[in-house]
Amino acid sequence: MPLLQLISRRLLQLIGVLAGISLVTFLLVHMAPGDPARLLAGERANAETIAAIRSQYGLDLPLWRQFLTYLANLALGDIGLSLRFQRPVSQLIEQFMWPTLFLTGYVLCLAIPPTVVLAILGARRPGGIADQIIRLLGIAGLTIPVFWLGIMMSRFLGVSLGWFPVSGYGTGFTGHIHHLFLPALSTAIWLVPVLTQSLRAALIEKTAADFVTAARAQGATERQIFWQTMLPNALLPTLNLLGVMVAFMIGGAVIVETVYAVPGLGTLMVNALLGRDYYVVQGLTLIFAVSTVLITLIVDLLTAVIDPRVRF
Amino acid sequence: MIFLSGSRTRAAGAVLHGSTLVAMGLCWAVPAFADDVIRVVSPYQTTTLDPMRSAAAGNIETYGQLYSRLLRRNSETGALEPGLAEKWEISPEGKSYTFHLRDAQFSDGSPITAADVAFSLDRIRSDKKSAYPAPLGAVESVTAADAKTVLITLKSAFAPFLGNAEIWNMGIVSKADVEKRGEEAAFATVPVTSGPYEVKQWKPNEKLVLQPNPHYWRKGYPNSDATVELIEITSPETRIAMLKAGEVDVVRAVPWAQIGELKATELVDMRLEPSTTIYMTLLNHKREPFSNLKARQAAGMAIDNKAIAAAITRGYAEPANTTLPGSVDFHDKDYPGIPHEPAKAKELLAESGMAGREVKILATADAPAQQTALLIQAQWQAIGLKPVIVNVDGAAWWDATGKGDYDAAANWWYNETLDPDLAVRWAVCGSCGSNSYNTFYANAKVDALVEQGTKEADQAKRAEIYKEIQKITTEEVAQIPLYYAPNAVAYSKRLQGLKLTPSLQWTLEETSIVP
Repeated sequence: MPLLQLISRRLLQLIGVLAGISLVTFLLVHMAPGDPARLLAGERANAETIAAIRSQYGLDLPLWRQFLTYLANLALGDIGLSLRFQRPVSQLIEQFMWPTLFLTGYVLCLAIPPTVVLAILGARRPGGIADQIIRLLGIAGLTIPVFWLGIMMSRFLGVSLGWFPVSGYGTGFTGHIHHLFLPALSTAIWLVPVLTQSLRAALIEKTAADFVTAARAQGATERQIFWQTMLPNALLPTLNLLGVMVAFMIGGAVIVETVYAVPGLGTLMVNALLGRDYYVVQGLTLIFAVSTVLITLIVDLLTAVIDPRVRF
Repeated sequence: MIFLSGSRTRAAGAVLHGSTLVAMGLCWAVPAFADDVIRVVSPYQTTTLDPMRSAAAGNIETYGQLYSRLLRRNSETGALEPGLAEKWEISPEGKSYTFHLRDAQFSDGSPITAADVAFSLDRIRSDKKSAYPAPLGAVESVTAADAKTVLITLKSAFAPFLGNAEIWNMGIVSKADVEKRGEEAAFATVPVTSGPYEVKQWKPNEKLVLQPNPHYWRKGYPNSDATVELIEITSPETRIAMLKAGEVDVVRAVPWAQIGELKATELVDMRLEPSTTIYMTLLNHKREPFSNLKARQAAGMAIDNKAIAAAITRGYAEPANTTLPGSVDFHDKDYPGIPHEPAKAKELLAESGMAGREVKILATADAPAQQTALLIQAQWQAIGLKPVIVNVDGAAWWDATGKGDYDAAANWWYNETLDPDLAVRWAVCGSCGSNSYNTFYANAKVDALVEQGTKEADQAKRAEIYKEIQKITTEEVAQIPLYYAPNAVAYSKRLQGLKLTPSLQWTLEETSIVP
């Protein structure tokens, strides 16, 4: 049962990854200068107050003891309590997760169709006019900084024309679609060129592949060759790239979420880091690690479905 | 015919379809206002609903909406008025205060009693986790004489006491509720409140939603039954875009560079409101070069604070002349300030033996801090120091200044009342627990004057004392005063009666929505 083997091997790897990541983030956030107790109590608080808060939250214990407590709680499935808000980290992550997931899905919906169309158009006649235009647009999309594009779009489409809200998540499905349109579009503008380049290159490479020649020799039409042989094979490297991108977006589309004030994981991460909210930072990095591993697993499974030669 | 009619139907369908889309677009284009919500956006976060637990900016603004205090300030005149206390008597020697409470209720309908007041003030005064006990430093005891009478005894006469009893962390909380639910749980989600609002929903790190407290003691207030959303947005660009797009009503901390544009925006009322904020440069007196008086004076003289104020705030702030905020009582308007004399500064620096020394200037990422650091660097370089800018985030900034691991740092502070007592304790008093705002400046004479200032009942004599404190600390360059900045707040014109007071309290209860 290769499939089950793959999954169980990945899950075993996951434990190692999580252990490593929790140790590294724990050390990094605790060793960064800055005291959560000071940030909690505010500037006017005196030394005794700060000390009392530190001892209440166990921040005065030696680092190794704090880490062991954290690990013990983690083993029991408890990722801790936010120092700033006195709420379970899991509750905060749940609150901020949905906008980010919705945004990621939205970006994919906006990015994948044009990617496929543009890559096919470009690969059909490499170096042709269509290909040149697509490449130029691609370079433009890649080089415009997302934050600048975001600010410009929110100024023009949001403030001046009033077509789209410039902040927030909205309520209900249509509300989300409407509110997240500009953030999704600005991310897609950056994502499409990356994916198009990859898919176009793979398509061109496959035109000269042995199996394409073999299919042609067996009398398949060009249409059949393209749709049944070339495209599925060319998709694989792009699929992997897409997996990395999705994991990256879940890991907090920080810039886009900040510019459009989307209450997502990126916003939560930035504020947790600035407020030295240790357990929130750690909880988030664990979630990001898990989602990265899960996404690569899904990509691998999809790869196996598309290309039967790939077995584990 | 059939063909024609078919195409007409299709055309009509297309038009209908198109107009539906346009209509949907228009619906969306209308600002997402519900008339019954007032949205306030600020970079400062609400992190706790317990008025005792934090002295950080976002919380200060929230506490005023949730908890009433013994006294309140008139939002028009700034004068102290009865709050939960209907009236009070002060004993002739000024040591004991008797407060008579009005008939008032908490948001859960239970009566607010003297026991609640004693409980609340005692927590602020003596709980280890109390963030800011200083305003009650002079209090000896708080007792409930009967259900409606509170007796507060001071260690000695203390002129600023009534004003201090009005400060943001003096809010009255429910003793019964805190004891019943426990301290953490009572303030975790929906606390029992005594102020104009109660919590409808709290989404930490995103927004706090408030609704009018039906049991609020000021009858007829809040003026509007709108819910209030206090929204946290870090990016100034986003805050301004939200206001212009009509998604929010109030933007706190408008960047100086945006003020001109917002003044010209039709539906926006851009205001520069009085504040007790002072922007200054901290100097570390604990180590060289600035442990040396002449080096500090040289550093002060090298700085052209009029030019800095004009450049950074585009002329919206007034250059500072003393170490105290310009709008606190007894501020010495006539003091000439530190003169801008680069040539003399160079001489003084040479005399001090500190010429050529490296100076570590700490700066956080916000625009005024970055700009100040750059301007100071240039002006100090010109007199022969070697300034280096070290960029850090807020947490690292507090860490370094608290430990004295810096030479200079650009920052600001504000005073919660107009009385200068807390200001001098915070900024220039070496023995008051703040290390003179992490500068480690200490002058025994100043410390003695600080104490004397609170015991003096004669206003003219108090004025002399604070004048003296300002003179000594400015001459000795305890900090380098830069400018007195107003609060830059942009309001939607559909609101009436809303402002941010100098003690950073929103007058939301007096706000109404123009139909």
